[in-house]
Amino acid sequence: MSLKKFAAATALLGAAWAAQPAFAQDITLEFVVWNYALDTIQDNVKKFEEANPGIKVNVTDYTWPDYQDSLVLRFRGGTQTDVLYGGQDWLPAWASAGWLAPLEEIAPEGMIDTLTKEMAGFALSDVTYGEKVYGLPYYADTISFLYNKNLLDEHGIAVPQSWEDVMAASEKLKAAGIDRPIVYEYNQELPNFFDAFVAQVYGRGGELFDKDLNAVFDQPDNAAYKHLEWLREAFEKELVQPENHESNIITTMNTGKHAFTIVYNYVLAAMNNAGEQPLAGQFALAPMPGEAHSTLGFAKFYAVTATTAQDPQRAEAAWKFINFMAGQPYDVAKRWAVENGLGFGQLPLLQDPEVKEAWGKWVDMDVLAKQIENARPGTWTEWTAVWSAYFRPLLASAIVGEIPVEQAMRDGAERWNMLREQFASR
Amino acid sequence: MWTIRRYPLLWLLPALLPVAAFIVYPVAYAFWTSLHGVMLLFPGEPFVGLDNYKRVLSSGYFRTAFLNSVVFMALAAPLVVILGVSVALFLQRRFAGSMIVRSVVLLPWVLPGAISAVLWIWVFHPSFGIINGLLEWAGAINAPIQWLNTPTLAFACVLVAHIWTQIPFAVVLTMAALAAINAETLEAATIDCRSGWKRFWHVIFPEIKAMVVVLIVYNALVAFTTYDLVYAMTGGGPGTATTLLAFQIWRESFAMYDFGAGSALAFVMVAVAGLLIVLITRALPSDLFEERP
Repeated sequence: MSLKKFAAATALLGAAWAAQPAFAQDITLEFVVWNYALDTIQDNVKKFEEANPGIKVNVTDYTWPDYQDSLVLRFRGGTQTDVLYGGQDWLPAWASAGWLAPLEEIAPEGMIDTLTKEMAGFALSDVTYGEKVYGLPYYADTISFLYNKNLLDEHGIAVPQSWEDVMAASEKLKAAGIDRPIVYEYNQELPNFFDAFVAQVYGRGGELFDKDLNAVFDQPDNAAYKHLEWLREAFEKELVQPENHESNIITTMNTGKHAFTIVYNYVLAAMNNAGEQPLAGQFALAPMPGEAHSTLGFAKFYAVTATTAQDPQRAEAAWKFINFMAGQPYDVAKRWAVENGLGFGQLPLLQDPEVKEAWGKWVDMDVLAKQIENARPGTWTEWTAVWSAYFRPLLASAIVGEIPVEQAMRDGAERWNMLREQFASR
Repeated sequence: MWTIRRYPLLWLLPALLPVAAFIVYPVAYAFWTSLHGVMLLFPGEPFVGLDNYKRVLSSGYFRTAFLNSVVFMALAAPLVVILGVSVALFLQRRFAGSMIVRSVVLLPWVLPGAISAVLWIWVFHPSFGIINGLLEWAGAINAPIQWLNTPTLAFACVLVAHIWTQIPFAVVLTMAALAAINAETLEAATIDCRSGWKRFWHVIFPEIKAMVVVLIVYNALVAFTTYDLVYAMTGGGPGTATTLLAFQIWRESFAMYDFGAGSALAFVMVAVAGLLIVLITRALPSDLFEERP
């Protein structure tokens, strides 16, 4: 072979190699999740891998209480992380720290607009930071007031409309031998301990912060202040059965010895699961008590890290993956809704016959639709997650009477205002 | 030529390098962190001197966590040792199934803290827990006791769980000390003294005294720095009822992203623990570790 021929053959081979599809060589995406329904997650991943040869997805899971710390350490330590579960309360901090990438950077043009047009308002708000969209909903839900229909019927009690009604009904039930009618998720280490409190304050039509993000919940006429006093009173009267996790609430409510609880909506699906729970079918959703009947709506979402977005090949694979998990035609979101009762931020699923049929078995869809309509997003700032970690023990202390309500609210408000200034001047 | 005497450091290097990598460097880095503003959400890590120390020492959470830790240690260390020695004395006897009992007693020691915590959460569960179940069955209570949701009771529950996890180690060490006692001495004591308590106090205890002291110091340190049970059983709550210093370090660092404050608190804890060891060992009889004639 002459030198010329050899050079031509080498050039041809090189060109052929360069012209191969982008994913001829496997990419392994690192996908980090909390460990809810891991089997379903793995199955969804498997389906994605089958549909996208050349892209592998490695799933790493953490428990829910450990999730936030583990992710922060991964970000800080530079551990390869491509796609992850994000939360509305962490987004401002993580995005402002430069750990997450806006999806516009990796999605095909116009795609984000198309998807956000079909997103519920509170879900869109929760995946947005600085007017940029950072995530697509894994699920979006509301925190709900649930009750045992049979127990209320048996004792001739109407569905409570206000928190005063809840107190009166609970006292009546206690007098009738139902020892602790309210089951409450009491775990100061869980972010949802604060979220549930906000949902109840929203039910009263209250706000914790003003438009300039000043804390106003320390004012005695504020709905949050009043509600903390209400919780303190309910605990003092021994009307509340505290539980440290929603999974225990499902079991406890199914003993038939408790009438009310305030939890994520999907817990109702589990409580009414006829295959697993003895009292399935007895539990129903009511509008959150209070003048406004509003509640907290929130979204957990798939997000992509900033380091991944900077690598074109990984960014493309990451987009394909989250679009598969949360994009049109919303098959994965629908699966979560049908099989697990998880709420969704993708509005077209509300009209989906399969979703309607599945959900009709455990919830009154009309009541739920009204609740979703009334749901409001939380106030999520760069410092909310840090502040919430400080405030939750205060909240817990005040609820059990370890410190006065006034002290909890004052300390909480001072800390909020201090952090706000600290973050403004960073 | 290449003798150990001539180049001692060189010969020690293979052993010193891992120590430096895994102990000296992390401790030095933690100390550096405690003197800098390492707030994960903020850019930069400016030198702040002793600000982190001032901040953690003046916070309400520190006072509560410190007091809780001291009380926890003051109760846990002696109780673990007293119960450990008692169990060891009991297990020294030969009886039917004694080997099985010895193995079972060691079980809490091999369980990870988180597993022990989950186990105790269910023991103390108000609706499904065995304690409330037994009390209700015995007619001692009409309504379930909220063990982990009542501040004072929650503290006691964590203390019980901690003691349960630490007793086996005390048993093992005490049994080792007991096994070293001369059998003839014990036999003579049995003949000379009918009172079991007097036999223990005048013959057995002097023989195991040094081990008991080691156990007290060790358990004081373990109790003062305990973290896993608190994290998994109560999350430091209700409120701050079970917040111990080690747990507060985690909260400052990981829940509030403030590694500067968390590191400062860690060094404060190390200093307090060091001081406590000195105080405990000084309070002990001076002849404790002297060779017996």
